[in-house]
Amino acid sequence: MPTQEEKEQDEILVREMKAGRMEAFDKIFELYQRKIYALSFNMTRNQMDAQDVTQEVLLTIYRKIDTFQGKSAFSSWVYRITLNATYMKLRTKKKEQYVSLDEGLPNFNHAGFQNEKVSDWSKSTDSLLFSNETKGVIEKAVALLPEKEKVVFMLRDVEGLSTEKVGDILDLTIPAVKSRLHRARLFLRKRLSNYFDEYKTRSSKK
Amino acid sequence: MICCKECIDLLCDYFEGTLSPDTAASLEDHFKDCPPCVSFLETYRQTSDICRKTLSAVEIPEPVQIKLREFVKNHIQSP
Ligand SMILES: [Zn+2]
Repeated sequence: MPTQEEKEQDEILVREMKAGRMEAFDKIFELYQRKIYALSFNMTRNQMDAQDVTQEVLLTIYRKIDTFQGKSAFSSWVYRITLNATYMKLRTKKKEQYVSLDEGLPNFNHAGFQNEKVSDWSKSTDSLLFSNETKGVIEKAVALLPEKEKVVFMLRDVEGLSTEKVGDILDLTIPAVKSRLHRARLFLRKRLSNYFDEYKTRSSKK
Repeated sequence: MICCKECIDLLCDYFEGTLSPDTAASLEDHFKDCPPCVSFLETYRQTSDICRKTLSAVEIPEPVQIKLREFVKNHIQSP
């Protein structure tokens, strides 16, 4: 999450860039290249696409800095450009088969109470929670999220931005951000639960 | 007592700390008597945590870093 200090630093850099100082751009490049690349890579899971997007965004920052009004934070502007470039990449690809997010909810009885056992895998060892297999399950599950939910999840939970900031970047209300985030988390939780349950059965048979 | 469904609907707000004190209290009351919801809550929270730790570790691979520096040099610093 950007601190007040980072925000002020950004403002100074933007002013210097508008005044034509190349060192300011170099600094912005250093500060933002990983953020741009990581967000784009997590959305596309493709190194070449993420590289293209990063180049495009750097060029846009350089060319369009004069159109940046400073109404929202510079970082929000950069995230927006990054997402637009990423969406363009995704448009050219075959549409993925997105799933229905309803499957994230547990089974309730007519009174709204859960009527099945919920396994708690949250205290599993780190060697299981962060195994390569688990990583693969997470990546696959995230790839199945519809774009709207995926982008909110990436910005809020992966990048760690505040709910307000995500709303600012995506031009969404706070309740809209939270409802998308919640649906994404429910879906991913369900996928992970299925995997850990299956893992447990698998290892007890050994 | 609120039901499990309501409980799960409120989880996101619960973690954001934006529930009214009354609602938060009735949620916590529910958790006292409902082990499935506690498991749900713990795994919901852990889902966010492990996804963050797993996905935020993305670094720019060395060959891409070289390409990006070249790109900036050729198209921006001396276009
Ligand atoms: Zn319950």
